[in-house]
Amino acid sequence: MRNFIFIFLGLMLLPAYMSGQAIKGKVSDKNGVGIPGAIIIAVDSKTTTDTDFDGNFSINAKEGEVLKINMVGFDPLLVKASLLSMNVTLNDSKDTELKEVVIIGYGTRKKADNTGAISQLSATDITKTKVLNAVQAIQGKAAGVQVIGTDVPGSSPSLIIRGIGTALGGRTPLFVVDGIPTGSIANLNSNDIASFDVLKDASSLAIYGNQAANGVVIITTKKGKGDKTTVEYEGFYGVRTPLKTVKMAGSNRFAFYTDVAEQNTRFSTDQLYNTNWFDEITQLGTYSSNNLSLSGSSEKINYLFSLNYYDEEGVLDGLKFNRFTFRNNNDYKVSDKLKITQTLSIANSKSTPKPLSAFTAAYRQSPLVPVKYPSGQWGMPIIGADGQASTTGALFNNVGNPVSQLSFFTEEQQNLLLQGSLALEYKILNGLKFTSRIGVEYNNFKRFVYTPSREIWLAVDPTRVVESYSALDPINELVVGRSDYFNWNFDNFLTYNKKFGEIHDLEFTLGMTAQETGSKEELDVKGRDVPENSDYWSLNLSSSLTNNVVTKHLIGNQRNLTGYFARFQYSLMEKYLFTGTIRRDGSSQFASNQKWGNFPSFGLGWVVSKEDFLKDSKAINFLKLRGGWGRLGNQNVPLNQQTFASGTGFGYGFGGGLNSGTTINVFIDPTVGWEVTEEASVGVDFKLFNSKLSGSFDWYNKNTSNVILNVIPAFTVGTGATPAHSGEISNKGYELALRWDNAIGDNIKYWVGGNYSSNKNLVSKIYNPIAINQVGGFIGNGQYTKQLAVGQSIGSFYLWEVAGYDAAGNFLYLDKNGLATATPAETDRKYFGSSLPTYYYGLNFGIEYKNIDFSVDGYGVGGNKVYNGKKAQRFGGENIEADVATDFWTPTNTTAGNPTPFNAVPISSNYYLESGAFFRVNNITLGYTLPKVTSSISSMRIYASAINPFISQKFTGYSSELNNDGNPMESQGIELDAYPILSSFIVGANLKF
Amino acid sequence: MKKIFLPLTVVTLAMLLNSCANDFIEASTTENIAESDVLNIYNNDEGAKSFVTAIYSNSLNWNASSFSWNGLTSITSDDADKGSDPGDSGSDKDKCDALTLDATSLSVQDVFEANYQGISKANIALLYLPKLDKASTVIKTRLTAEAKFLRALMYFNLVRCYGGVPIVDRVPIPSSQVDTDMTLTRKTKEEVYAFIQTDLLAAIEGLPEKSGYAISDLGRASKGAARALLAKVYLYQSNWQGVKDQCALITGYNLVPNYATIWREAGEDSVESIFEIRGYGGNPSQGVEGYMVSQGARGTSGWGWGFNTPTTSLANSYEAGDVRRNATIVFAGETMWDGRIVSPLVANPMYNEKAYVSNTVESFNGDWETTKNIRVLRFAEVLLMQAEAANESGSGDVTGPLNKLRNRAGLANTTAVGQASLRTAIRNERRHELAFEHDRWFDLVRTGQAPAAMAANGKTFVVGKHELFPIPQRFINQAAGKSAQNPMYN
Repeated sequence: MRNFIFIFLGLMLLPAYMSGQAIKGKVSDKNGVGIPGAIIIAVDSKTTTDTDFDGNFSINAKEGEVLKINMVGFDPLLVKASLLSMNVTLNDSKDTELKEVVIIGYGTRKKADNTGAISQLSATDITKTKVLNAVQAIQGKAAGVQVIGTDVPGSSPSLIIRGIGTALGGRTPLFVVDGIPTGSIANLNSNDIASFDVLKDASSLAIYGNQAANGVVIITTKKGKGDKTTVEYEGFYGVRTPLKTVKMAGSNRFAFYTDVAEQNTRFSTDQLYNTNWFDEITQLGTYSSNNLSLSGSSEKINYLFSLNYYDEEGVLDGLKFNRFTFRNNNDYKVSDKLKITQTLSIANSKSTPKPLSAFTAAYRQSPLVPVKYPSGQWGMPIIGADGQASTTGALFNNVGNPVSQLSFFTEEQQNLLLQGSLALEYKILNGLKFTSRIGVEYNNFKRFVYTPSREIWLAVDPTRVVESYSALDPINELVVGRSDYFNWNFDNFLTYNKKFGEIHDLEFTLGMTAQETGSKEELDVKGRDVPENSDYWSLNLSSSLTNNVVTKHLIGNQRNLTGYFARFQYSLMEKYLFTGTIRRDGSSQFASNQKWGNFPSFGLGWVVSKEDFLKDSKAINFLKLRGGWGRLGNQNVPLNQQTFASGTGFGYGFGGGLNSGTTINVFIDPTVGWEVTEEASVGVDFKLFNSKLSGSFDWYNKNTSNVILNVIPAFTVGTGATPAHSGEISNKGYELALRWDNAIGDNIKYWVGGNYSSNKNLVSKIYNPIAINQVGGFIGNGQYTKQLAVGQSIGSFYLWEVAGYDAAGNFLYLDKNGLATATPAETDRKYFGSSLPTYYYGLNFGIEYKNIDFSVDGYGVGGNKVYNGKKAQRFGGENIEADVATDFWTPTNTTAGNPTPFNAVPISSNYYLESGAFFRVNNITLGYTLPKVTSSISSMRIYASAINPFISQKFTGYSSELNNDGNPMESQGIELDAYPILSSFIVGANLKF
Repeated sequence: MKKIFLPLTVVTLAMLLNSCANDFIEASTTENIAESDVLNIYNNDEGAKSFVTAIYSNSLNWNASSFSWNGLTSITSDDADKGSDPGDSGSDKDKCDALTLDATSLSVQDVFEANYQGISKANIALLYLPKLDKASTVIKTRLTAEAKFLRALMYFNLVRCYGGVPIVDRVPIPSSQVDTDMTLTRKTKEEVYAFIQTDLLAAIEGLPEKSGYAISDLGRASKGAARALLAKVYLYQSNWQGVKDQCALITGYNLVPNYATIWREAGEDSVESIFEIRGYGGNPSQGVEGYMVSQGARGTSGWGWGFNTPTTSLANSYEAGDVRRNATIVFAGETMWDGRIVSPLVANPMYNEKAYVSNTVESFNGDWETTKNIRVLRFAEVLLMQAEAANESGSGDVTGPLNKLRNRAGLANTTAVGQASLRTAIRNERRHELAFEHDRWFDLVRTGQAPAAMAANGKTFVVGKHELFPIPQRFINQAAGKSAQNPMYN
């Protein structure tokens, strides 16, 4: 580490040397914004240079000689050199698309010259849908990029790029925010994002080597620009409600159904109470965001400050989240050769989480139970002798009171994340630039969990009284948790850019990176009998100090990574394009002989529209064919070192008290290396009909070998699931994106866009015998729902197939010979498809008429299955859905949709499996930009929008968009303890001063 | 100058970085102790002990000794019903009660899995103990014997439930085909019994008597425990001479005067106690998970879920004046020994008193991991085994040991005469003495009483099927043809 810093300092102190007589100036666009990368050729002196980040240049030339200034996207210009500082303005060329730049790893590339598949989303795309996390906002806006949303306040949606190639931990893409690699952007204020580039194909990804297998998202935050200070305010307020609800049986229906199930009449069918538990635990959600930014630039400094406060009250009672973010981005132009870029982001979020299992409890708890008895005590599922809810009698199910469950669960969390980066860019020679960048990330997390043990004890049985509570038991318990970590990364690279012979354009990048994901230290202390008032939740104030114990102190494993990378990019006549990259990565996650890996890639491109035969085509304005291949790794596995398990859970009390135990509960395979993903892809980008129709089409074939799964050894081995190379997974698919832009007259501009992505996920090989028949998707009742098998998608549901009813109205299932049986064997199960969609699509429409703008975005998925896990939680005494309660088998209704009421754990069958396909309108926005309001307000826009106002789905539950733990082998695609997807209605305003 | 600067920079950079890159990506574990540090950290007496402690700890597991274990050993029998609410099946306890368990039933899987988890911990201890050269040889010998005793106990549970099972006698190496086959291939019942006997004979060699342990080591396996278990293993194989020989060598134990105290905290580690699974009720608690709460009275005034409730058949089977009836059964409406009033409105008429922990007069630290010790082997059972072996073999004192138990229970000497009626007397005595001590089902199967007892209880015992529980289906899948299911469970 010391060496890195040494080099960094050394390079910073390099003498800035100059040579010869310099002509200096600035190249700007028509808005006065400097143009970086413009090429200046002194025709007589035969010298060349290019402009820096701000458009400034310095070239050795004679006064008065002709300078030729070229920049893609602008018309070329000839000017005479002058000793006075020159100000050159370039005019936009009509080929505006050529000006577009995409962000690639460790650099940028003109979009036209790029050979990879990169989806670029603009700041507008990200901020239009008013949600907390930028990932959620881009749902349906980019082909090949699947977003599985979640509306739990403060949570992060899943982002899957070109299909999922693994099932263990590392399923999320790498985010690189201003050069800082990070796993989540939950701390990022969407208003601060300038660009959001999704690298999709292996040819572009290989430069991120061992971290790139799940794709990379490169995010650049905004910078100050313009010569005056701009103050901008943006704020909105919205209300949120569940998009879909499920109609449950009322109490009389419940009583009747349960009586049939139990074959008695202990429940009266004329009930006193009829509680709608879902209504009791939910409320109207609200959220708001206020954003203030101040930015500008001077000759030497660009600056941006932004503040944001986001506040949400969830639809689940008591669930709150707020986040405060502060950002400061500054660029300092130290000299013509040296620029320093600094970013700082502070995000502090506070939340009061509530257990999402309350939704399942509300689904299951019987409606005949009151929220509270007339005595003021919490209602419990107790049935009295008269068949009514009562305070004494039999406890007829094991579901708690969902309302008291929420009220007894008190947790406060506070999460502080600091991110900062410092980058130095030094122009060593013309065309040769050195970049050195340090990024740091610090996280501090605190939580308090307060459990009113005595109240919980009292609520279980309404006849209990405080006096009989054991004096030995705690009145309440308080867990105080703390954790923190510090990560850093250090990148150094050289970029060399050269144009020669007018037709050759090459760029060479060479560098290294070092990253440390620091040890996360976690500490939990538990105490009891603290004051009830949350102001006094300190263990010092416990009245029972001797009971304060440390329940957890964990020093997490550190991860280190170092990588070397090189990239060569070449463009011949702006027609023939080549990119080649190689990265060599070493990772501390693996055993010593498995640490290093090489990740090469190449990309080819052909701009067909530049060829003579298409040059003058009116119909085809731009056409590029591109293709590539690359190899990527995934180092996201647990540290590959055999360790002992010890601590709580392995101890035992002999006569002298508690003794600690040691064992091995997971065997680590030292030969486990990274997962290897290889992908070949081809694509075409086009603009047709005066560039009104633009789009791209991509096809890819991605194969992940050495797939690491958590393999559960045979029961007789007696140890837990262990990561092991299990097999191969392939993802094949295609993506199509189209957009039509046009104007009608002078006042109306409109666009229609859409994208469609198809992905076929397949487990193509299993070479670890233990991985065969790996099951997953446990739904908490002892039943599993998924199994891994060759020829199926990962996470395929593996269930019994219902074959109608027997003479008593119970389910029959098909056995492997196609015969109906009441007791199917394990081998009678079948595969029914997976929770992964085989296609997803987005539709976007927008229109602007004078000062009015209107847009609609939609998103849909198909080909996926979802398991109605909450419905399979009735063991007896729990509530059922209204249609189950009204349409079940009876001797006179033998073709009913549901079996006769029963009291048993329901076995996993396709009765609970439903189509996960849906199409949803994600966003409708109507905005109005006011003409100049006052002299101080330069522009103002007011808008109203509806998020998720409509959905069309077959699923009978709340939402088939079920990310859960994000693991297709586990709870993904299973509706259990799931927060519903919400509809939101928003009004907001945007003011510029 | 300019020309050499660039290559110089690049070369310097590359050299400096490469030299430390390999060091940089060496990160060692901090979350847990690395296996490679075993000789630094665990190479002492305490370290050696900790490997064996983990085996004992496994028996506190919910699946190993609590809910599912009750499902298989108790609820199946004529002593216990599922209990709880009619609507609450306890995942599959209704199937245990109705003898309709199948290979996918959770109880069947839980018990299988939990015992092999314990066996794995025993094998791990046996693997590392010899490597710890700085730990005292005396202690290591004892610890090795303890591990073998515990391993034998777990195999005994497995063989009684499932018949022949795979014998995993070492830590399997994943890449070894031989080891993989070992874990996937069922052995015969006889081979498993032979393996258990070998372990127990070795344990007897290496273990001290109970009196040889310091107070701080109270509760570790002793020579007496290994002999009692070996006697029981012989009993299941009708090796009467073996039973008699082992029982004769069990010394230093006696009956406690009051039967009712046996299962209370006050009765822990008593003179009658041979081996217990120990719940530790301190902070943090480390007890048998859910043992008390799953069997506690349910509903109004209750303290639990109400599973595993005594049957009327059991309650009615006691002779008049047998103190064991009240000591074993909590009756709805009664006032318990610690003063707790049980409402007549509790969900079930009777509950298992042997699972009860008082939260007023015993150490109590929450109801999930309680201080309750499960009595695995006690001297009363040695007497019962002696009586049975004498009666079945036709030589030895049958009524002496039997009457000791009867007298303590407040009953007069047995009036039974002759092998057949003594057999009935012994079986009744065993039922009443050991009710809810996880033996009834196995006794019914072992002695052939099961078909009649089940019929009397309104259940159908299928001969040739119900002697064994099914092997968990997931294991059958894992074995991929190397192990077959028990008869009539396919």
